[in-house]
Amino acid sequence: MRRLIEVVSSLLAILILLLATPARALMDREQLLQLLKVLDDRQQNNGDYRALVYLEQKERDKTDVIREAIVYRRSADQRLIILFSKPKSEQGKGYLRVDKNLWSYDPNVGKWERRTERERIAGTDSRRADFDESRLAEEYDASDEGDDNLGAYHVHRLNLKVKPGVDVAFPIVKLWVDAATSNVLKRQEFALSGRLMRTLYYPRWQKQYSESKKGDFWYPPEIRIYDEVEKANSTIVLIKTVDLRPLETNIFTKAWFESKSR
Amino acid sequence: MLRLVLIAIRSLAQHHRRTLLLGGAIAVVTALLVVLLELSTGLRATILRSATTLMTGHVNVAGFYKVTAGQSAPVVTQYPKVVEVVRKAVPELDYLIERGRGWAKVISESGAVQVGIGGVDIQHEPGLHKVLRIREGRLDDLAEPNTILLFDEQAKKLEVKVGDLLTISAPTPRGTSNTLDVQVVAIARDLGLLSSFNVFIPIGSLQALYQLRNDTTGALMLYLKNLKAVPAVHARLREALQNAGYAVMDDNPKAFWMKFDSVNREDWTGQKLDITNWDDEVSFVTYTVTALDMLTGVLTFVLLIIIAIGVMNTMWISIRERTREIGTLRAIGMQRRRVLWMFVLEALVLGLVSTSVGALLGVMICTLLNAAHIAVPIGVQLFLMNDTLTLLADPAKIIGAVLFITFCTTGIALFPSFLAARLKPISAMHYIG
Repeated sequence: MRRLIEVVSSLLAILILLLATPARALMDREQLLQLLKVLDDRQQNNGDYRALVYLEQKERDKTDVIREAIVYRRSADQRLIILFSKPKSEQGKGYLRVDKNLWSYDPNVGKWERRTERERIAGTDSRRADFDESRLAEEYDASDEGDDNLGAYHVHRLNLKVKPGVDVAFPIVKLWVDAATSNVLKRQEFALSGRLMRTLYYPRWQKQYSESKKGDFWYPPEIRIYDEVEKANSTIVLIKTVDLRPLETNIFTKAWFESKSR
Repeated sequence: MLRLVLIAIRSLAQHHRRTLLLGGAIAVVTALLVVLLELSTGLRATILRSATTLMTGHVNVAGFYKVTAGQSAPVVTQYPKVVEVVRKAVPELDYLIERGRGWAKVISESGAVQVGIGGVDIQHEPGLHKVLRIREGRLDDLAEPNTILLFDEQAKKLEVKVGDLLTISAPTPRGTSNTLDVQVVAIARDLGLLSSFNVFIPIGSLQALYQLRNDTTGALMLYLKNLKAVPAVHARLREALQNAGYAVMDDNPKAFWMKFDSVNREDWTGQKLDITNWDDEVSFVTYTVTALDMLTGVLTFVLLIIIAIGVMNTMWISIRERTREIGTLRAIGMQRRRVLWMFVLEALVLGLVSTSVGALLGVMICTLLNAAHIAVPIGVQLFLMNDTLTLLADPAKIIGAVLFITFCTTGIALFPSFLAARLKPISAMHYIG
């Protein structure tokens, strides 16, 4: 009897909660575009960016690998550097993005190799876009999939499809956006075939005042990336000590990179 | 001359212990050389047969298409037009097949392997039927879309059997992730290094995975009636395709997958064709043959030095024992040249008989080894490109080995024979050995 009362009261509580939550009208195209622009804008600095990053890579039947890298970014010409400093075997290796070209450098052979922008970074589950500024509004068209709950958070669910003629690693993306703060909490990325490839969780977001932006700059201090094809593989990206002060002018060059690689 | 040969044979027979010892050593070295030569010939033949089925034609017209300067895909676009040019330029053509090419990750529930993907039209692949030994499933089931053929080692790594499902994951030429779910329809026996990173799927499935059009393929593989025509056809095709207005890449004798880095570094976009031959495409494995040839050379050299010392020593002993005989022969009128010939012929007869016996012994050993179908460990399979030891006799090489060792043993005998011929009859007759 007591068990029955518990079940009935639980069902009643759920019903009351559902009735109390007002049904939200789906966002139209313009509202969705605005939301994407808000998501992008929160993560854009309109200036320079430097961060210490740790990547913890877990793979089936392999020892976990932790890499340390410094990420440099410049909003003006969409430049990016990922320079690895640890472990010793990876020291001096890294990536440089110049004019839509992603170059990879290995100091052991002293050669630059041109890579696709959509390649995995250092063989982990992370991609260049995970370290770069967000460009959702530029790359995707969104559709509203309604509201949902993600743990304790009330979220908007968005379905993004790549715009025609734009090259991205994942043509379909699903986002879970915190309704209260507009922080992306979860992201799922799908292949052309429709298969789920990666799930990313953003457990926390932090803001920092940006002098160049004259406003708050938001970044996720932790990104948990799960490989949905090779289920045992995952990568955790930790973003530490973000510095938004201007960088040296000549930093985004092969010569500068090589000098740091020695 | 016949008399001199008889003297040489009698002398060898008279000192039969010494002759047997030295002749036996020469025969063993010859047999070893023959076995190594047959192993090398067998290895080369296996590589040629496996490679020209699994991953290359005798001559290939392949190439790269670059959407952006840094992103290349190993494809030939609008290939039917290229086929027209090829057919006109190559009258030596036996048959031609189109083969899709890709590099992707094959994933099962329990593992993943990075492999080269061959897109095949199994009904037009006579070579695959001849070379692949299917352990499980049916090769012809590859005609069905979304199917895959694996090799033993891959199936073991992925822990799959026929009927299981796998996922192939690869970026399209534009860098967008794509996947394809495929069913294992056949598992073939390993073919060494070449099979360790090759799998086959239907060409239509490969086109779907990489989002390619129907008139796009990976490579046109040309099979010629005569292998000797390969260099001429290679050169002629380059010229014919350039004359037809195609951009052709500079000659680079490497496998196509070794060229991605250099192609991505170059600042061009669009289509460029690449003409290669089977030797270029398997250059990364032919080092095993080169290594074996080098080992054969070093071993033969060392053994020949030992034999040379033996032959020379024997000749010195023979000359010392027969010094008075030489003096007598010289005194009754035998010329120096004939004395020289007498000893040289002795070495020649010894060498020729011993090497012939050795060659015969070597061929017999190889025949027995082939008949025994000796299974080799996986590590050795990688280099032998086969799961059993295969030796192949090349009569020209065997005759060459016999003549070479005979020539060496005879050549070594020249110096002591020359000194014997220079002996003065009077001092030779008074010699007390």
